[in-house]
Amino acid sequence: MSLVMSGTSARKKTAPRNSRKKRSTFDTTLGRAVLQLLAVAVFFALWEAGVHAGYISAFLMGSPSGIFATFYKLILSGELLSDSWYTLFEAILGFIIGTIFGSLFGLALWYSVFVAKLVEPFIVAINSVPKIALAPIVVLWFGTGLISKVALAVSLTALVALIAAYQAAKDADVDLQSLMISMGADKHQVFWKAVVPSTLPSIIATFRINIGFGLVGAVVGEFISSQRGLGHMIFLASSLYDLNSVWVGLFTLMILGFVLYYVIDIIERTSLPWKQATTSHQVQV
Amino acid sequence: MPPKQVQLTVQNISKSFAGKGGDVNVLDDLSFTINERDFVSIIGPSGCGKTTIFNIIAGLLEPDGGTITYRGKEIESLRGRVGYMMQKDLLFPWRTVMGNVLLGLETRGVDQKEAEEKAREYLKQFGLAGFENAYPKTLSGGMRQRVALIRTLIMDPDILLLDEPFSALDYQTRLYLEGVLKDAVQTYNKTVILVTHDIDEAVALSKRVVVLSGRPARVKVVHEIDIEATSPITARNDVKFSTYFKTLCAELDIQTETTS
Repeated sequence: MSLVMSGTSARKKTAPRNSRKKRSTFDTTLGRAVLQLLAVAVFFALWEAGVHAGYISAFLMGSPSGIFATFYKLILSGELLSDSWYTLFEAILGFIIGTIFGSLFGLALWYSVFVAKLVEPFIVAINSVPKIALAPIVVLWFGTGLISKVALAVSLTALVALIAAYQAAKDADVDLQSLMISMGADKHQVFWKAVVPSTLPSIIATFRINIGFGLVGAVVGEFISSQRGLGHMIFLASSLYDLNSVWVGLFTLMILGFVLYYVIDIIERTSLPWKQATTSHQVQV
Repeated sequence: MPPKQVQLTVQNISKSFAGKGGDVNVLDDLSFTINERDFVSIIGPSGCGKTTIFNIIAGLLEPDGGTITYRGKEIESLRGRVGYMMQKDLLFPWRTVMGNVLLGLETRGVDQKEAEEKAREYLKQFGLAGFENAYPKTLSGGMRQRVALIRTLIMDPDILLLDEPFSALDYQTRLYLEGVLKDAVQTYNKTVILVTHDIDEAVALSKRVVVLSGRPARVKVVHEIDIEATSPITARNDVKFSTYFKTLCAELDIQTETTS
């Protein structure tokens, strides 16, 4: 086993290593990208070949050629773009509102151990309900428009943020707080200068999970009742056995989730510069 | 020499904590005095409640009984007027060196510009100019502890409470920082109470050494250290050094010579 501490960037992996193992020539950013794209191409090629050979039913499974044709058509008509924007908007709005309210409430529980202990079983109880089960009544309460989808996304994201923020605030270094108290700081100063900053890594870590939950809320809301959005498009197409359109919707959701994940990644790295020096350690076995 | 004036008196302090097998008496009827511009080391067996004393003086814990008198006035604690330094440097990892140094002044509501100017002066004096924007993670242990010392001194505290501040450092860094501390204490006219388990450090730095007995802590004996030395390193070369060292070891029941 050899321990290797790489530099500030995880990408610059040219650190010297004493390992006996030789690094594969594909183990570079470009090399990996080529392999990954190759895997996708092989997957679609096999699928298409299977459809042509008659092993795979184009009716039940769709076909890559059909998917690309549908994709091209929906792009040209502008439908795909407008549906994507709609779903994306719902997801991001739900994510932001849910994360802000959840985090603030979770942090505020630090102020009173009494209140925190009082509400803890309720939070656990609410959290144990599969939030998706709320979808029908959320639509009932908030209608079939934008608000019901956002509300569903909020219900999914808020509790995740709340629990993470509360836990992180509870775990904040007591010695740092004591130090501030010995300096004469009051409770608010301890909260804002010692507790809140130390919870930020945990809160930002929930962004990754929550951005996904935001999309889940938006899509499920659209499944139940809506006139627009990718969820609506997928639901409608599958009821018409238009599998190619279903796949277009699913792949578009995948791309959205993918892009959002990397946006969060950038936010995480730029918002916590002090963390950078600590996350570059890598253990190689 | 002017007559010694008493700055802080701790009288009959007691404190017990609830433990598994009933209450644990950590401090029982503990009393001692600290003079103006004193440098007092408190040594004693580990776990005898040295940190508890500090927490009570700093206002982080309330004693069960006893009084604290400061310059003739009875007070509850010295919260906000002490500089507390611990074994862990306790630098805030999300703050730069500058941000960490400014922590106390921010808490006090000192004007930002004025505070920064003062901080720059201190950083320069302690050889940390140019590191204002560095994060603690990137500094060595000795540098971090120096930042912690600046953060403490810049508040202009009445008394420095140092709880084994150098025990996590290697010997060379410790010697160096002991010198930095001694100089700083002289420059800024500070009173210091130092908790340590290092007898060598206690003798080299202090004017007086208070030896505590095991739990519950009581003052066993107080030694005046009469070594006129400019630095902790020259103090270790003083003829009287080893005598003090041996006496204190004996008081702590540490055997210095192998018995046959």
